[in-house]
Amino acid sequence: MNARAELFGHFVRQELRRRYLGTLAAGGWALLHPLIQLAVYATVFSVIFAARMPEAPELPFAAWLAVAFWPWLAFSEALQRAAGVIHEQAPLIGKVPLPLPLLPAAAVVASFLLHGSGYLAVLLALALAGIPLAPLGIALALPLLALWFALALGLALLVSALSVFLRDLAQVVQQLLLLAFFLTPIFYARTMLPESWRPWLDLNPLTGLVEGLRHAWLGVPPPSPRALAVSIVAALVLLWLGSLVFRRTSRHFHDFL
Amino acid sequence: MSGAILLEAKGLGKRYPRTATGRQRLRALWHLLRGLPERDAVEVLKPLDLEVRRGESLAVIGENGAGKSTLLKLITGVLAPSSGEVRVHGRIGALLELGAGFHPELTGRENVRASALLHGLGAAEIEERMAAILDFADIGRAVDEPVKHYSSGMVVRLGFAVVTALRPELLITDEVLAVGDESFQKKCIAWLEDYVAADGTLLLVSHSMYHVQKLCRRAIWLKDGAVAASGEVFEVTQAYLAYHERKRAPRTEAGAAPPASGEIYRLLAVRLNGAPARDGLVLEQGAELALEAEVHSPDDRPPALAAGIVRLDGTPVYGLSSDMDGARPERIAPQRYRFRLRFVALPLLPGGYTVRVHPLDPEALRLFETAEWAFTVRGASREFGLVRLPHRWE
Repeated sequence: MNARAELFGHFVRQELRRRYLGTLAAGGWALLHPLIQLAVYATVFSVIFAARMPEAPELPFAAWLAVAFWPWLAFSEALQRAAGVIHEQAPLIGKVPLPLPLLPAAAVVASFLLHGSGYLAVLLALALAGIPLAPLGIALALPLLALWFALALGLALLVSALSVFLRDLAQVVQQLLLLAFFLTPIFYARTMLPESWRPWLDLNPLTGLVEGLRHAWLGVPPPSPRALAVSIVAALVLLWLGSLVFRRTSRHFHDFL
Repeated sequence: MSGAILLEAKGLGKRYPRTATGRQRLRALWHLLRGLPERDAVEVLKPLDLEVRRGESLAVIGENGAGKSTLLKLITGVLAPSSGEVRVHGRIGALLELGAGFHPELTGRENVRASALLHGLGAAEIEERMAAILDFADIGRAVDEPVKHYSSGMVVRLGFAVVTALRPELLITDEVLAVGDESFQKKCIAWLEDYVAADGTLLLVSHSMYHVQKLCRRAIWLKDGAVAASGEVFEVTQAYLAYHERKRAPRTEAGAAPPASGEIYRLLAVRLNGAPARDGLVLEQGAELALEAEVHSPDDRPPALAAGIVRLDGTPVYGLSSDMDGARPERIAPQRYRFRLRFVALPLLPGGYTVRVHPLDPEALRLFETAEWAFTVRGASREFGLVRLPHRWE
């Protein structure tokens, strides 16, 4: 059991390292990159577009975007990695008996660690810039982030297993993520949609999470219970389905790689 | 000598699904998800039973594509069997490819850590054994260079060194002794011999019959995905070598062209060791070979006979004719003569051979016919060559 935990740690480190190997600032980029990005968004949206959200007109748009954007980055990158991780480790899979679920799990954990630290840096920067973040927000945000992680893990198991059989899945995942990004109120608010469209957003399991995080940090109105229920059910169903598909297929990966 | 069962396989077989086109992959996925057996598949290993006891090393031999690697992969659990099951009661160390999973950007030392983790060693154990591993690999200061700058021989050294640190109960190696330089190969063999001597159990795939005979007591020969022979290592390797020699031998059509006239001297019956001659006679090393040939003589004059032994690949070992020795056949009926030739204590080394017989005219000038039969000499000799030369150490 201990050896397996160490092996898992190895895969996570490998995932982290493959992003920064050979770069000068190494892990420094994990903090620097989000801060630069935040500065760009703040400039573009506040100065150039002068964007304001109807739900929180006193907040700069960048703050409103940031609290939901970094968890989304973690989620979307985890899934893109999951679509490639089994193929990348193909030379190993035929040679060493491995606990295969560790591979997509390590991709998800690495991605959440990386963007989690970016998220932390961005939140700190916002607080320093004088944005009033709710001090108890973290108590509400953590369960929501855990739910987001569970959603990512379930999907990652599913995607990584299917990617072995369907070679074009990596492309498809990328397109679907782009679509999901615009179907989720990350760059916009629910109230900006036509009245008749708004209830439909609840069917997207990410809506409850995004709105929940905004409620936690910025104190805007909470998401509907229906949206949160959809998130919880979707996370559970995807975890179950993902591990079922992975278990059924992973013994046969080697045949298809 | 033989202890508890370490490995047992029952009806273990493998069929690979067809995966060339997207449609085939999709259908295979659908089958797996529903838990159905794959119908459209290529059989690479026919169901076989296998049992390995502790301390009883087994070699798997056979031609390329015979299913050897597939069998090892099934046993290590890297590959899922299509039929049957395999059970291992002990810790496996698998060396299916030296340096598998080495990351080119990482240094040798980092790769040793990663590789040992992959093989199931804990971090503390790894640090404890690191010195011994690096000592075995013996690649000097290169251990702190990235592996991408290594020669393939250095990668192999490091890979094998990791395995020496695993101390598994069942060590599975696939053709890994073929790489590395001479001195490192010797080091590996010496290590494997120690491992086997210390009651370790080895499952070895190798094309070197020398290594196989040196390290293993039992062998199975896989041919086209099925067991062609299985048992004591010398018998199996000799049957395998004989098969190869036979395959390599050019197909010689029996019978040189007979003279145009009807006057031909021909073989009527040949007996080997008392039984009608046919392929597949098996002799123990040093046994006797008795040849009896009846020859038709059209003019009733006593004919001559040439006989000899050829290795299966066509190398002549020994040949003679009756007129050289002044031997005369016995007349057993009108126009019918019988020769008897006895090779006493055949000095042939184990392997595949052919005995060849030609009837000649009375002048021993014209050769009328070639008849030959394959036979095998069996034994546990480790000498090299064709025959045992009389010798004495002084």
